[in-house]
Amino acid sequence: MAYQEIVSTGSVYKGRTSMWLYLFHRITGVALFGYLLLHIISTALILAGPEIYEGAEAIYKNFYFRLGEVGLMAAVLAHAINGLRIITVDLWKKGSDYQKSLNVVALLIFIGIFVPTTYRMITSYFDICIEKSSPGTTVVDCMVRPLPDWKS
Amino acid sequence: MQNTTRTDWGRRQPPIGGSNFELYAWFFMRVSGLFLVLLAAGHMFIMHVFNDTLNLDYEFVAARWDTPYWRTFDWLLLALSILHGTNGLRIVMHDNIANKLHRSLALYSLYFVSTAFFVLGTYVLVAFVRQS
Ligand code: HEM
Ligand code: HEM
Repeated sequence: MAYQEIVSTGSVYKGRTSMWLYLFHRITGVALFGYLLLHIISTALILAGPEIYEGAEAIYKNFYFRLGEVGLMAAVLAHAINGLRIITVDLWKKGSDYQKSLNVVALLIFIGIFVPTTYRMITSYFDICIEKSSPGTTVVDCMVRPLPDWKS
Repeated sequence: MQNTTRTDWGRRQPPIGGSNFELYAWFFMRVSGLFLVLLAAGHMFIMHVFNDTLNLDYEFVAARWDTPYWRTFDWLLLALSILHGTNGLRIVMHDNIANKLHRSLALYSLYFVSTAFFVLGTYVLVAFVRQS
């Protein structure tokens, strides 16, 4: 039985929380891999020198991208913590006896890190934007501007 | 695989009875995952909590890459996340592509793309010299 020849469809899965966690881990994993490829390309631009690298980075500096980065942070964090839960279940003898508690602990750790990090990512965005932009820039300007009006 | 289902405890079961390669691959996902907690989650928090990407510029990266340590950190992150992600996608493709021809095509494209990005990322880390 090297590989299963049967195509998995949602309907063969049993178990509720387990099924959702499994699917969730899969979706975040595939999404992270996609991001990784884009990220390697945008980092490679650094070889073309400061002008081009910073020109490309500027695009990522508007508020919509910041929301995207919050999503990315959540995906990394969730995949990491759920991954640790899986590792605990598999490599700790008693892990499987405590799987319900482990689910709860994982969720609490996720919330405990996600909430303050998001708060920090949003507030520091506005602090830095207002500090660096031309005088008179408001929070709303920071939110809707497609490109920053300053050069880094 | 007595009376457990494939998704028991929200994960893939250890592939007992298959090839050794599958068992090692299963174990590798767990070990690389442990390292990626430090590397990937660490990298994210460095970029977003200890710095802010609004301040990200050429100089920031050049200064980090002045030390061989961050280049090594980035290279480990690159290598492990590509291996871990590629093996993960290999499994996803085996699960979801029934047609053998389509599956082989998908798998070979995956291996090709992963190798190319690994080479590109490594080249960037080795070849970068500060222009000032
Ligand atoms: C941050 C630390 C990480 C940990 C602790 C972790 C842990 C794990 C574990 C334990 C598995 C196996 C799940 C199973 O057998 O059911 C897995 C699967 C996977 N991971 Fe990660 N991982 C991490 C980061 C990443 C990153 C950065 C990527 C993307 C490049 C990624 C992509 C994947 C993919 C695509 C799968 C396959 C999912 C599946 O088979 O359903 N992981 N991860
Ligand atoms: C939005 C969040 C992120 C930001 C702002 C960010 C930023 C950066 C920056 C500025 C670099 C250049 C090198 C350095 O300064 O160390 C870099 C390199 C790198 N990042 Fe990220 N990163 C993010 C998320 C991630 C994630 C989630 C992963 C893993 C899946 C990742 C993997 C890498 C790798 C492998 C390199 C080295 C690339 C190469 O060898 O060319 N990054 N990142």
